[in-house]
Amino acid sequence: MKNSQIAIIIAIAVLIGFTLVNLGNSATYSSFADASLKQEETTTVIGYLNLEEPMSFDPKTVTLTFTAKDKKGNASTVVYNQPKPQDFERSEEITMTGFATDSAFVATDILMKCPSKYNEQNEVDSDKIYK
Amino acid sequence: MNYIGEHFWAVELGRGLTAFSFVFALLSTFAYYSRGDGWKTVGRLAFRVHAITLFGLIGTLFFIMAKHYFEFDYVWKHTSLDLPPRYLFSAFWEGQEGSFLLWMFWNAILGWILTYTAKNFEGPVVGVFAAVQAFLVSMILGIWIGDYQIGYSPFNLVRELPENLGLPWTQFEDYLTRFPNFMDGSGLNPLLQNYWMTIHPPTLFLGFASTLIPFSYAIAGLLRKDYTSWISSALKWSVFSVGILGVGILMGGAWAYEALSFGGFWAWDPVENTSLVPWLTMAAGTHLLLIQRNKGGVMPSVLFLLIITFLLVLYSTFLTRSGILGESSVHAFVDLGLSGQLLIYLLFFTVGSLGLFLARYRGLPKKEQEDRMDSREFWMFIGALVLLISGLQITLSTSYPVFNKLFGPEGLIHIYDENKVLNDPITHYNAIQVPFAIIITLLIGAGQFLSYRQTSTKLFFQRQITTLAATTILTGLSAWALEMWNPMYITLMWTSYYAVIANLEFWIRWGKGRWNFAGAAVAHTGFGLLIAGALVSNANKDVISQNRTFIHEDFPANENLLLSLGDTVEMGKYWATWSGQNEEGYYINYELKFFEEIDGKLQATFNLSPRIQLNERMGNVAEPSTRHTLTKDIYTHVTYADLRTEEERGTEEWKNEFELELKIGDTHFLYGKYQLELDTLVVDAPNAGSELEYAVLGAGLTITTLEDSVYKVMPVYAVQGNQAQHVDAEIKELGLKFRFDRINYDTNKPVIIASEHTEAEVPFILVKAEVFPWINLLWLGSILIAVGTGIAIAQRVKRERK
Repeated sequence: MKNSQIAIIIAIAVLIGFTLVNLGNSATYSSFADASLKQEETTTVIGYLNLEEPMSFDPKTVTLTFTAKDKKGNASTVVYNQPKPQDFERSEEITMTGFATDSAFVATDILMKCPSKYNEQNEVDSDKIYK
Repeated sequence: MNYIGEHFWAVELGRGLTAFSFVFALLSTFAYYSRGDGWKTVGRLAFRVHAITLFGLIGTLFFIMAKHYFEFDYVWKHTSLDLPPRYLFSAFWEGQEGSFLLWMFWNAILGWILTYTAKNFEGPVVGVFAAVQAFLVSMILGIWIGDYQIGYSPFNLVRELPENLGLPWTQFEDYLTRFPNFMDGSGLNPLLQNYWMTIHPPTLFLGFASTLIPFSYAIAGLLRKDYTSWISSALKWSVFSVGILGVGILMGGAWAYEALSFGGFWAWDPVENTSLVPWLTMAAGTHLLLIQRNKGGVMPSVLFLLIITFLLVLYSTFLTRSGILGESSVHAFVDLGLSGQLLIYLLFFTVGSLGLFLARYRGLPKKEQEDRMDSREFWMFIGALVLLISGLQITLSTSYPVFNKLFGPEGLIHIYDENKVLNDPITHYNAIQVPFAIIITLLIGAGQFLSYRQTSTKLFFQRQITTLAATTILTGLSAWALEMWNPMYITLMWTSYYAVIANLEFWIRWGKGRWNFAGAAVAHTGFGLLIAGALVSNANKDVISQNRTFIHEDFPANENLLLSLGDTVEMGKYWATWSGQNEEGYYINYELKFFEEIDGKLQATFNLSPRIQLNERMGNVAEPSTRHTLTKDIYTHVTYADLRTEEERGTEEWKNEFELELKIGDTHFLYGKYQLELDTLVVDAPNAGSELEYAVLGAGLTITTLEDSVYKVMPVYAVQGNQAQHVDAEIKELGLKFRFDRINYDTNKPVIIASEHTEAEVPFILVKAEVFPWINLLWLGSILIAVGTGIAIAQRVKRERK
């Protein structure tokens, strides 16, 4: 067999290896309930901010505490040990990566989806018609 | 109805030009692919008409944006009256429609150049350009066929948007002056208001556009079964593509580092990844083209790489513009509902080009003689293969959202039940890509000591004794100076230094410093420096703003430091003071003074002013401020500041109420500056057992300040039945008040509420500061890559002229 063919075969094997490693390494989007079953383990939960519950940011300890609901409707207190993201209240959906503890979900990373920020529509309020 | 004040001529002109541009691109495609000499002239003419109408349409869009015609949706969304004219370009390509136009603009320019330079390949090459342009123009056509939308026009009027059709306000012919919404636009996202947004997208899109040239040559070659005469033209353009695309990507990194508070130049975000991958495959393709020209025998791999590079650009377009990355990227475009059309576009070119490749595969010239393991071409081939695998690995990991759509719970083929995600992408990519970088830099270095066809082992080592020695000494010194002992990192440092030194040495010693050898040597030196800079600045990044306030052992380390106005705090080897702030237009600048200990005394050495851009409509944005020195950068940004006005702050005397539950002997660190301890609990219940039973409780508190002043107070709580009375204790000097609120009967612990007096509250900000060592190597490397590819192209053009 030719050297270059051997190299290509090795390359394909490496690539298949990565695919398997990836499938093994990847986590799934989970819910707060799943996360609290597997404490210590890092998971990613997609949910939205529950503004009816209190939200507090203590700048002195840099702790943001809020309540989020996951897609299954379960609510959990979330503690985020980073400065409050800009426009946090306006977020539609938040992707939280972190782990569960007995009292709260500790988020290490938060990604927000704020469509209004980039896709603001010119919504003309018809009630404001003045003549 | 005749609407008053609308610039309807611009609607008609813009849409008319779009339609013409589309039709002429189609016409050009068909003409170029028809047989016969006359058709070529028609194709060329049609392509030029297409290009001219395209420029006209771009000009029209610029005009309406500059004039702020807010009845246009695109104008309203991306400009505002207060937008400085210098950001007009940024606003133009902020949206999907405008960035498509930018891409088409470059394609038109490059295609036009090829009508002169492609000579007898003009037909199939510019024909591919015309076909790509037809697809791209269709993305901004804005035609509805039934319920199906083809393209999204930048010339849509707000009142014509589907969601506004039939609304009462559209019935007013003077709606433009009647409703204040049309007085001003929504404006350019403040994150994008800087000069990087002016130069990064055009460079990146020129890079994307340039990948089409080698692709077109490959397609032309396959169609004509000609596998020789186009190699040097394709080579010249693929070097151009590697250079420009590389510079475009690196500019994005420089932008993220300089002006955005992402905290680095590369974050493995899907949008970054999908622009890096075509660069990797284009670099691989370029090296294979070189082998093909010098020795031949790698035609199938050359064609495959040139083809998939362009397909990966299309895939990148699909990922970033279809909205599929919404959950995993911070800067993908907004979904315009065009994902179906993008998918058709992607599939058409994938099936068409790979189909043609497979159909012609048997007839492709193959190797007559096997490469020897000690030849340069063999190892260049291996290098190209590693670049390809590296690119495919990034593509695989970036494609999770796509796999979820295909095989996930709501997927086409249901394979797994829960959507998959990468939890820690940065660690994931670094772990896999560092070994690839090691192999690539090793090959870049070793390649210079290998000859084409065969090299004797003795000669191979003899040639590089000095290089190996110099590399090893330099690596040892660097590792010692930086205290970097991770074996993987040391290996990468060694190989990247090796690449740098080997290429420099090759150019000076064997190339005698001549210009015609300089291109590759300089670009490869640059690549080695870039990898070394990326490694050292990332692996040895030092967050000097660690907050040492203890919270909980489970918590991630806090990387934000609290700076009270006027206080001086320690930050790594520096001391920093927040001395004040000033407003400048939309910005609040926070003045930070840095001190260093010189000869036992603190001396002010430099000032930084990270800032916050105030933007009511889009939200406030923090911008970093960086102190650049030769060996390191000190990078700061404000992560929290109180932006409330005095009115919003309220006039309450006591604030920051904080509830504490303590048992005797417990301590708590309060407000980041006081140590609080519950020493004693005094209980007095004089009439115990009788009807007038009541209890008086006092909590003995000791408060120690950071200056070690000690205060003792005792708030009192009296309770009779369900009646309670409080006697609060105050420390006037500190502006602190304590209330003994109640006993928590579940835990039997007293509950104390502390609050702080308004005047005792000193303004403060949170700052994150990081030191990036040797990041200048990365920028120097980037510049050398650009210079090196520039020299290489110039040399090729010069050689052709001779």
